[in-house]
Amino acid sequence: MNELSQRLQKYLRGKLAAPDLTVSGLARIPGGASRETYRFRAHSGGRERGLILRRDPPASLIETERSTEYRAYEAFHGLGLPVPAPVALELDPAPLDRPFFIMEEIENCQAGSIMSPDPFGSYRETVGRQFFTVMGQIASADPRDVGLGDFEGETDIHDVAAHEVARWEKVVDEDEREPQPIVRAAIRWLKRNLPSPAQKISVVHGDYRTGNFLYDDAGTIRAILDWEMAHLGDPLEDLGWAIDPLWSGGNMEMPGGMLPRAEALRLWEKASGLKADPKALSWWEIFASLKGAAIWISAAREYAEGRNTDPINAFSGWYTLAFHNHILAQRLGAVA
Amino acid sequence: MNPEIPTILALSMQRLAGNIGEGGAAFAQGQVGLIGMMMTLSAKEYERGADIRVAENNELRALFGELAGTVSDATLKPKLTAAAASKDASLRISLLNENNYVLRRLLTEAMIHVEDHGQRTDLQRIWTVLKSLAERRLVQLGP
Repeated sequence: MNELSQRLQKYLRGKLAAPDLTVSGLARIPGGASRETYRFRAHSGGRERGLILRRDPPASLIETERSTEYRAYEAFHGLGLPVPAPVALELDPAPLDRPFFIMEEIENCQAGSIMSPDPFGSYRETVGRQFFTVMGQIASADPRDVGLGDFEGETDIHDVAAHEVARWEKVVDEDEREPQPIVRAAIRWLKRNLPSPAQKISVVHGDYRTGNFLYDDAGTIRAILDWEMAHLGDPLEDLGWAIDPLWSGGNMEMPGGMLPRAEALRLWEKASGLKADPKALSWWEIFASLKGAAIWISAAREYAEGRNTDPINAFSGWYTLAFHNHILAQRLGAVA
Repeated sequence: MNPEIPTILALSMQRLAGNIGEGGAAFAQGQVGLIGMMMTLSAKEYERGADIRVAENNELRALFGELAGTVSDATLKPKLTAAAASKDASLRISLLNENNYVLRRLLTEAMIHVEDHGQRTDLQRIWTVLKSLAERRLVQLGP
């Protein structure tokens, strides 16, 4: 850790033109297997600030364009949404062995746990209102206006749903270690029952959910995190993912463990200016469970083949994959 | 369940025996907590592992027996009949898995045929079995 700290200090001195800069307290933060995350303090010019280092792991759970997450932070921080300020992006592996980026640390905050039956306690409604409103604001932004018009993803409103199914089917094809009849049935159903065209093409966060944002002691959301799967797509994709029952302990009527479903959708519609069409949203909800299953299948493979032995990947291969198989079977069994 | 218990035990041992404290105390605590959870879940899986696989394999065989009576496809029908008559010759997890994978692949093949050419009642019957399979494989975190 000391060596990493020294190398980080050397890098930041050059990058920020601050020859007096020192780094202290570098420590890895638990959670998240797709990037190694560290917090540290940087001291320079008599000023101290908390920063976060996000470094590629030796093997990544989800292969993403390395600059994607950083550019999303730049775009939405610039728009005034609760997103940490980006500080530096480094694609050259030389300074710290692997590509990385640095952003400000949002201090004195907490994240809700999806393992908790009531992750937000007395802040449930306050946090929920902001959560669905901010998601709507992200959906309302024009990707070109925020500098993300060239992001990965389908830009034809008629093809976006099929594009996303194909994307995650490829992940299942590549990473499946045992036959997955429910997942395969879900892929076929999604292809045969494509939803109406997207109302618009938006920046999709890709992992907007309980556990991926920080709120403070006043119940104010201070940071939307983990933008590494951001892409262009149908804004209903984020909504379907955020209300997936995995993030609310299986409670279908209290998305994210925050608000009643109808209220959550109303807030999102108001902030986005879009309609949460029930039929299209239902398709995106089934897609969300398929996407989840694909991610967990991928995590299990990374673990079992020794490329990323973080135990969260073993947990994903067991608990979360079984959960999403169950949800898919319930939902698709009801419409068969 | 994938990864299987022997892999989880071996990789957990490697991680614990390695420099798990390198990232700092909070990170090490998080890792140990997760490994502890996987140990607990592994203990539950050790208890039920053979049972759920035998039950799943038998449920699939019973389904194939029913479908063999309604499916007329000359290629699929004998496969379903043969699978319905198959047996688990051992309670070893690895062998139960081997049979299970064969049966699950056939389930997807049969399901595609039923979706394209079969009766709605057969498809509903398949989904009833899939719901049962998914329910049985759920992982409970509590005691």
